[in-house]
Amino acid sequence: MARITANRLLKRYGNFQAVHGIDFDIADGEFVAILGPSGCGKSSTMRMIAGLESITEGQILFDGTPVNDVRARDRNVAMSFENYALYAPITVYENIAFPLRSAGKDQAEIDRAVRAVAEKMELTPLLGLKPGRLSSGQAQRVGLARALVRKPAVFLLDEPISHLDTRQRYRMRRFIKSIHQEFGHTMIYVTHDQEEALALADRVMVMSDGAIQQLATPPEVYSRPANAFVAGFVGEPPINFFDFSDADETGLTIEGNRVSLTDPLRARVRELGPVGLAAIRPHFMRLGAGSPVQLQGRGFITEELQDHNEIFVDIGSVRVSLIAPPGVKVARNETVTISVDPDHLLLFPADVKVKEHSDDL
Amino acid sequence: MYALVDVHKRYGLRTVALRRLNLEIRTGEFFVLYGPAGAGKSTILNLLAGLTKPTTGDVRRNGQSIVHVPPERRDAAMAFENYALYSHLSVAENLAFPLRAAGLPKAEIETRVNRIAGVLGIPHVLHRRPGFLSGGQRQRVALGRAIIRPADIYLLDEPIGHLDAKLRHRMRAELKALAVEMKATIVFTTTSSKEALALADRIGILNAGRLEQVGTPAELYNAPANTFVASFIGDPPMSFLSVTARPDDMAAALYTADGQRIGTAPASAVGLTGLQVGIRSNAIQMVEPGAAGTLAGRVEVVEHLGHSNIAVISTGKDELQVSTEAEIRLRPGETVGLQIDPAKLHLFSGGAAFADAAPARNVA
Repeated sequence: MARITANRLLKRYGNFQAVHGIDFDIADGEFVAILGPSGCGKSSTMRMIAGLESITEGQILFDGTPVNDVRARDRNVAMSFENYALYAPITVYENIAFPLRSAGKDQAEIDRAVRAVAEKMELTPLLGLKPGRLSSGQAQRVGLARALVRKPAVFLLDEPISHLDTRQRYRMRRFIKSIHQEFGHTMIYVTHDQEEALALADRVMVMSDGAIQQLATPPEVYSRPANAFVAGFVGEPPINFFDFSDADETGLTIEGNRVSLTDPLRARVRELGPVGLAAIRPHFMRLGAGSPVQLQGRGFITEELQDHNEIFVDIGSVRVSLIAPPGVKVARNETVTISVDPDHLLLFPADVKVKEHSDDL
Repeated sequence: MYALVDVHKRYGLRTVALRRLNLEIRTGEFFVLYGPAGAGKSTILNLLAGLTKPTTGDVRRNGQSIVHVPPERRDAAMAFENYALYSHLSVAENLAFPLRAAGLPKAEIETRVNRIAGVLGIPHVLHRRPGFLSGGQRQRVALGRAIIRPADIYLLDEPIGHLDAKLRHRMRAELKALAVEMKATIVFTTTSSKEALALADRIGILNAGRLEQVGTPAELYNAPANTFVASFIGDPPMSFLSVTARPDDMAAALYTADGQRIGTAPASAVGLTGLQVGIRSNAIQMVEPGAAGTLAGRVEVVEHLGHSNIAVISTGKDELQVSTEAEIRLRPGETVGLQIDPAKLHLFSGGAAFADAAPARNVA
């Protein structure tokens, strides 16, 4: 197990700088998720930790010792990538035993280790099967077991569950989390899926454009996002953004709606000036009047998700979504009033980039 | 209306993709095929498109067999997860292609292309060639090319599966609105419970080549036919507790392994083995440990999902997923009490919904 530190870590591919000199410190035994859209630098960062990618500038340290010049296989890093390359001709047992055999461990020790990890991963009944007989979820558990069996200093996981169905995702999350609680490895999980990052990690490192946007606990990145990028990337359903204008002591204007402000928001407006970006999570908006922050809109569609409804409303040129109890609906083009909980209204500096979707070039 | 009648589909000698499957797709409905990878979802789309033939059984349109009708004569519009676009044409030309082929006037084509580009959020890339698009943009163009023209049936194979979370959320609403407006017949596959519930008029839950249940989202959510369906619909999935039924003045009472009474059942449940109650996370309240009438549980893991937390609680033999407010802090290893709403229990016997389970719902 190891503490992982990065000092001014930088990665350049030719003229393209993928990681811009980042710093972080991951405690021994900590579970950190690196979260961001494709191209944000998360995979480059992980590959530099693993030793699969050279470090252009800066340092990575394991327990205070620089590992820049240590080869991947000597770093004692276990990796589990999305495509688990299991060896098809040999059994699950032998697949899990493989890293220990390569390391020259004796038979009794191998057997003990394989059976212990198989028990934890609920693979005991499958030990005699060949990989071709396994479901995709089972194959992934074998891949994880094989990575874990050699007691690595740090365990790197690269989007292992993003393509599974809802039920399997919950099961795998449960597994990964219990592996961490049971074995106590330092774990680094790379993903573009905010729900997985929040669900699994002690801290989430949100990356964008080769830089760390925020490194904090899941409740912090959700409730106190460092900037509009983090606010937009974390949370399901996604946060709603509006441009605001004409902000002063008396209030601000959102899509033609003049709204008054609470004291903390007034202070925020003094920092930001007259224009900027307002953000509100779907959970903190409701249909009907009753808040100092009210917006007029037109109904678009209601999704009945059974335990709650999700309602889409057009406010001026902005389509927003909000969470409502079952039974609450809007009709297409129906005029509606929306109340925003002012305690959860977030204001950010004007920043056009945040409104773009991450896959828009 | 389309129908698969007793369709058995084998690939090669050993791989059975569909097993004696019967399915009706009604005209004008948004039908979602939902199930794990490898369940047979794409095979059903291929059968409807005519890209493959059933090993045995029939594929019908309005009662007539279409097994021998080639794909180009079926009037089915398809969008696949792996999208093939014409690389030498711009996005606008790719979208216009099916309309040109249908001989529509130029002005009409332009109007439709602009409209669909707006719906899909790609008006700014209309002039680009596919090679200069991101994966999510290419997927939206492929979806647009499928839905831009009138078709008898639209077959959409995880058409928004590669989009990032924000876009997927937005496309879901756009697609549903468009489907309502077009009154189109759509078959859509997904591995996401939320997507299935949000989009479907009816959902077919597919598992290993068999349909486990077909019904409206509300039917599947409120009256799942078996534990597979129950655990597949809803996010987080339903949890299960093993119970036994003992005689009681309310007919029968349900007890957990450690002797806690958690609900009632019809007398016919008494003595049955393999009884389970299914409980959705929102039917469980976390209370002080040791309170009367509650289950004791141990917190195994806690997931912080932002607006809420999901705790996995072990009751010894079983595990339950419980949603809590984000402010409630739980630590692994902690003991908690669980208050389960007896009106919200689903009773299963040997994995199937207990036929006469309704009385369990209204008596504490």
